Amino acid sequence: MLQTIHTLNVILPFLYLVAFSVYLYDFMKEKRVLTNSKRIFLFITLIIHVLYLVFRTIEFNHPPITSKFEIYSVLAFALVFSYFILELLTDIRWTGYYIIIFSLIFQAISSIYIVDNYEVKEILRSRLLGIHVISAILGYAGLTISAVHGLLFLKLYKDIKLNKFGLLFKRLPSLEILEKLSFYSAVIGFVLLTIAIKIGVIWLPSAFPDYSYLDPKLLATATIWLVYGTGIIFKIYAKWYGKKFIIFSLTGFSLALISLLITKIFESSFHTFY
Amino acid sequence: MNIFGISINHNTAPIELREALHLNNEEIDQFIPSIRRDLLGEGVVISTCNRTEIFGFPRDLRTRAEDIRDYLLKFKPIENVENHHFEYFFSCSAIKHLFNVAGGIDSLIVGDSQILGQVKDAFEYSENLNFASSVLRRIFDTASKVGKRAIKETRIGEGAISVSYAAVQVVEKILAYLDKKTALVIGAGETGELAAIHLRDKGVTNIVISNRTLSKAEALAKKIDGEIIPFETFHHHLHEFDIIISATSSENFLITTEHVKEMQKRRKGMPTVMMDIAIPRDIDPAVRKFDNVFYHDMDSLQIIVEQNLKARKDEIPKVDKIIIEEMANLFSWYNALGVVPTIKAFRDFFEEIRQDELGKIRNKVSDEDYMKLEDMSRRLMGRILHNPTIKLRELANGKSDEQVLKNHVVVLKELFSLKSEDE
Repeated sequence: MLQTIHTLNVILPFLYLVAFSVYLYDFMKEKRVLTNSKRIFLFITLIIHVLYLVFRTIEFNHPPITSKFEIYSVLAFALVFSYFILELLTDIRWTGYYIIIFSLIFQAISSIYIVDNYEVKEILRSRLLGIHVISAILGYAGLTISAVHGLLFLKLYKDIKLNKFGLLFKRLPSLEILEKLSFYSAVIGFVLLTIAIKIGVIWLPSAFPDYSYLDPKLLATATIWLVYGTGIIFKIYAKWYGKKFIIFSLTGFSLALISLLITKIFESSFHTFY
Repeated sequence: MNIFGISINHNTAPIELREALHLNNEEIDQFIPSIRRDLLGEGVVISTCNRTEIFGFPRDLRTRAEDIRDYLLKFKPIENVENHHFEYFFSCSAIKHLFNVAGGIDSLIVGDSQILGQVKDAFEYSENLNFASSVLRRIFDTASKVGKRAIKETRIGEGAISVSYAAVQVVEKILAYLDKKTALVIGAGETGELAAIHLRDKGVTNIVISNRTLSKAEALAKKIDGEIIPFETFHHHLHEFDIIISATSSENFLITTEHVKEMQKRRKGMPTVMMDIAIPRDIDPAVRKFDNVFYHDMDSLQIIVEQNLKARKDEIPKVDKIIIEEMANLFSWYNALGVVPTIKAFRDFFEEIRQDELGKIRNKVSDEDYMKLEDMSRRLMGRILHNPTIKLRELANGKSDEQVLKNHVVVLKELFSLKSEDE
């Protein structure tokens, strides 16, 4: 099985590269023959990625969340998986390469640096930690997809306002659809992030004696959660349209990126497992 | 293939001449019997606002394309027409030109699919007047196939090529779920009407018309199953609409920034698409500064039209490829219409039936009786096939009327489902 894991580890970045290239090529050239085949290829890539993650879990006897490079792989999967579901539900096939590029980068870094990790801290074998991390990763995947659609919304908005009717105008869905995609992804991301925070709040005090509510990672996550929560409430109750929510969503995503940097600086946090 | 074609079209002649030479159905009804009697054994007349074309097989091998032109000009005399206003085609070039027309690459607006229907109608018209038979049918069926393949396999017909349609295309890039959207069309002239029809075709069900002349607004509203609001009060209703298209001949702005400011306030910032397809403009272009107000005028919509036209022109080589493929198929079929293989296939067909029937009684009669039946059936078949065989050979040996021979061959093949060895 170890040999299979190593082989899949090498293959996966190439599969994402091919998927990205096919989606990009189709975006640029709009080849009818690729319309369905690119989706099938992405599905096969996802299946292979699932097998890779399952094999790792079986072989190393822990979920693949014990190192940042394992988490990168799960994140790569979560992003494309979420996009794939969106593509199936909406039949909008043109925004794929904007998402797959993230998976390609994360998986490539993961494949280069990942190590076979049989011995891990006992705490990393915890089931609650597994759910906490997976829901957080899926939550961030949702927020990333929301941000990508938000950026596409802003670009298309600007293009239409400035009478630029180029490739984006031709390929992208309407502004209203992009706004909805961004909003629904943010809601899903927000719900999953809420679950991750909830589990964390319940589990962390019992797992860590030096637990602190002032932990930078906790504070950053809480801030992100608040920003998205506020945006979603205003969108629903104050009937925000167009740019207003999108800018909120992008602000939340920027905060998420900044928080990554901040927590990197404060690596002495109890919230660091590897 | 001795088919001729002549064409006066937008590439060769100004609109005045094209209009003057346009043949309506009544004129075609008179023209066809006349030209059939004097010049062409069979043919098709295509006459639209942009072109008049005649394709046909001449009765006499000495006939020239110019004779067909002269015949047309004799039938419908016009002034100032000169030789260079016509294009002349023979054989392959005539077929190629017809396929170019059917494929939409010879149209004034490249990719215009209307011409395909006109080509089909023209053939049916000729056929109903007994002016077209088997070979011509095959040619026009292939032309129709070219047109369909061009639409299906290329993007020659895609993208808006009118400003009113481009306006609707932009609306689709801003708003979704058009069946739930409301639209106001100000102006019930030709442009306003086209825009309203395009909106309805895209699924907008709630369309309201406002026009200075109430009767015109009512007529258009009835046509698109919409409603009307009085022109004097439409300003008070602007906030009710997601899409506003203005196409009046007003000299001044009908919708100012103040109107739009108030409108957006009442809409609580909901997106509004404002299309100004009037010259001079009806909507103050300064309204584009408002968030979620998408204002476009003729200039910006013209950008889309030009882009789409360019994209269509880029598809011409693909249509050309289809034309060459279909021409190859057509001429392969035509060349297989040789009389000798057909006679052989024809006789083989009957011989097969004879052998089959003899086989059925082989064990039911004596050898002597079987010999008699065998002999009798051979003689019977010989007598039945004698006249058709002789007639075909006579036609084949004749120096003219190749088309008549081809038509006979086609009929024979179709009647008995014959296939020559080379098919």
